[in-house]
Amino acid sequence: MDQSFDDVWAECEDLFIQARQTLTSLKEPQPAHLVQASVNALFRATHTLKGMAGMLGFPRFSQAAHRLEDIFDLMRKGRLRSTDSLIETLESGIQALESGLVGLRRGRPEPDDYLHALRRQLGELEALARPSEGGVRDLTSMLDLPTDVLKGLSDYERTRVTAVLLAGTPIYGINVCLDFSSFDERLRALSEAAGSQGELISTLPWEAPEDSLGLAFLLVVGTHAMDIQALGALPEEGLEARRLADPKRIPASLRAEPAPAAEVPPAEVPPPAAPAAAPAQDMEVLRLPAQRVEALEARLMAVAQLRDAASRILRKRQDQDTEQPLAMMGEIEIGLLEVQKSLLQMRMVRVDSLFQRIEPMVKALSRDTGKPVRLSFHGGDLELERNLLGRLTEPFLHLVRNALDHGLESPSERLAQGKNEAGALRISASQRGRNLRFDIRDDGRGFDLALIEARGIALGLIKEGQPHSPERLHRLALEPGFSTQERASQLSGRGVGMDVVRAEVEGLGGEIQISSEPRRGSLVRLSLPLSRAVVSCLKVRCDRQAFGIPLSHVLRVQASPSALQGGEHVEVLGQNLPMESLQACLRLPEPAGGQRLLVVLRQQGASAGAGLEIVLGVDEVVGRAELLLRSLPELAHTPGVMGGSLQEEGILWVLDPEAVMGLAVDSLMRRVARV
Amino acid sequence: MSESSTFLHAWAAGREILLPVHDLREVVAFTPVTPLPGGPRGIQGVVLHQGEFLPVLDWKAVPGCPPDLEPALAMAVLRPRLGLPLDRLIGTLEALEAGWQEPPEDDPWSPIMVSLCRVDDRDLPLLDPDRLLALLHRLRKHP
Repeated sequence: MDQSFDDVWAECEDLFIQARQTLTSLKEPQPAHLVQASVNALFRATHTLKGMAGMLGFPRFSQAAHRLEDIFDLMRKGRLRSTDSLIETLESGIQALESGLVGLRRGRPEPDDYLHALRRQLGELEALARPSEGGVRDLTSMLDLPTDVLKGLSDYERTRVTAVLLAGTPIYGINVCLDFSSFDERLRALSEAAGSQGELISTLPWEAPEDSLGLAFLLVVGTHAMDIQALGALPEEGLEARRLADPKRIPASLRAEPAPAAEVPPAEVPPPAAPAAAPAQDMEVLRLPAQRVEALEARLMAVAQLRDAASRILRKRQDQDTEQPLAMMGEIEIGLLEVQKSLLQMRMVRVDSLFQRIEPMVKALSRDTGKPVRLSFHGGDLELERNLLGRLTEPFLHLVRNALDHGLESPSERLAQGKNEAGALRISASQRGRNLRFDIRDDGRGFDLALIEARGIALGLIKEGQPHSPERLHRLALEPGFSTQERASQLSGRGVGMDVVRAEVEGLGGEIQISSEPRRGSLVRLSLPLSRAVVSCLKVRCDRQAFGIPLSHVLRVQASPSALQGGEHVEVLGQNLPMESLQACLRLPEPAGGQRLLVVLRQQGASAGAGLEIVLGVDEVVGRAELLLRSLPELAHTPGVMGGSLQEEGILWVLDPEAVMGLAVDSLMRRVARV
Repeated sequence: MSESSTFLHAWAAGREILLPVHDLREVVAFTPVTPLPGGPRGIQGVVLHQGEFLPVLDWKAVPGCPPDLEPALAMAVLRPRLGLPLDRLIGTLEALEAGWQEPPEDDPWSPIMVSLCRVDDRDLPLLDPDRLLALLHRLRKHP
């Protein structure tokens, strides 16, 4: 694929993200003007996708996007009401287009109809939106505006004027005269402020006063009450507001059925949405090449190193005059970390973005297969690198399809086994050190290991007559071309897919594990490394070196009344736990006099009494800190070290707590064996 | 070796060496290396280079290196992101087709060499970064 189209692909991906988020927001109750703004955003997104697909030479994609655009157009004109089933259909439509885009990018041919599976639903929606007998009402003439201005309103604006008035909402006109040099910026600000108070129907050019050199505009806004002060106009902008139309004046014969809501006195009108609740489409989105952000990160690191060097010099001076500069250095350090975190966030997206792609597909598959599903997501507030999101979507969709198609039993089969009629599918994300872990768990039938073994023997992957562990058999499912399905189903079982999932995950430096139990379900676990992360750590010192221990694994810190040596036991909250020196874990020289400061580690997610708990002896506990973690290159991978963070005193190693616990156990066993 | 190429001419681990310039990212002044506790054999630690951690070769792990090394003055940053400490820099040179010979089997550096190159009256080892990486991987597997 031509590299010059990379930006277009990336923009399409962004549009899909926006569309999914906006559709999700429509499921929650919102003020009418925010719903309208969301629908407008969706209309624009599909319109842009249509144009981009045409530009890339994919006419069928363009047609499919056009079909969705039509539905959003009907919605924004008030001819289709937003309902749960409508949103679900549109989510499936967006999902179908997005999957299609991934296929196109990989060089697959265009399907005949991207929306094939949704034809019936889309047809029903279009039928529902047909105009009622008697044609379309138009109340535009009620606006107190000159005829030539009224004639200049678009069909859409006329439809909205009518709909707003029929809903019992007055329409206001706001006249402003803006300075020529900054009119675009000011008009945007005023439009946003007006839009946050109601529905901004139109922004019309207006005749400027004779004595003015500026540009004049009329903002047409549907709202129950207009707060002039909140618009934030400057005195010289000559803001004037007046009511353009009053819904009480609509002739009874033109009123909608059911009757429009009675006008609510301004005092009882709910306060206008805060600007923060303004619809997302007004947010300006900047697209930057990743290399530019990387260069900025590198430059920032150099600045941080310079600051650290300056700070060290200051500390060496040891006189009174350094107090203030050192305090300022501290401020600079905090500022640098904030900027580094912001840069990091530019690379990150919430895991929810991935979940939003999966949810509509699960619902559609559930409907198509007749298998009700109890779907749950956990850990959506975690973040992953944006480049991972794009590459993970398809593997995830494949895994979810597999779970529904092969894992979950039919409702009757489940009932016969004493299970809930609806299968459970739980997708969770958790951060394990520098790894992001995804668990896809179902309570279905589990993998048929006997069938996998037979298939593995038939394919020559394993030998007959030899014992094969469940782990080995589960891994066979990840071999290229491996499928136990006699026939390809509509959903999965084509013999391709799991190996592609593995290749994609391993290509990202991650790993995949499968486990299952007959009739109890399956677990597919993906672990993916993050190249950078902000990790809350406990800073400790051992052998004059500083280390960070992620707080996610620190159960408590305590001091022992006497110095302890590795291999001794410590009582922690009524439990007798083994203690090992951190130096011994990392093969550093152990302190001859033992250690009094103890850090109790517990496996993440483990409850008290379950999972491994171990006590680490350290020389000094410095405190807690948020650290910007950078992973180590493969050549420098070191057991127990997750990555490093640049600090004033140099590079601080952030420990991988799970690995350190393993090293501690190994060290304790060596002590027992006296090796 | 059939064409003339440009090589970095330097001293490393007490030997005069050549490195293909096209395998280099850059040559920088040597900065203190942060050791990695329990780090892999063959890597003495990392330095920060262009915002990322750069592993630095520990010559002492390479067979045939003297136990006491001169402090490094410069570092060659190889394309496969590895720092090679250099005792000192001599410059660059163009080596022509003639004057190449197979590395002698009894040279302990032969596993990391492409060939020997005749420069003036000396045969200098031309190091191969890929073979160096392979050696590091072997050291990691069999420490």
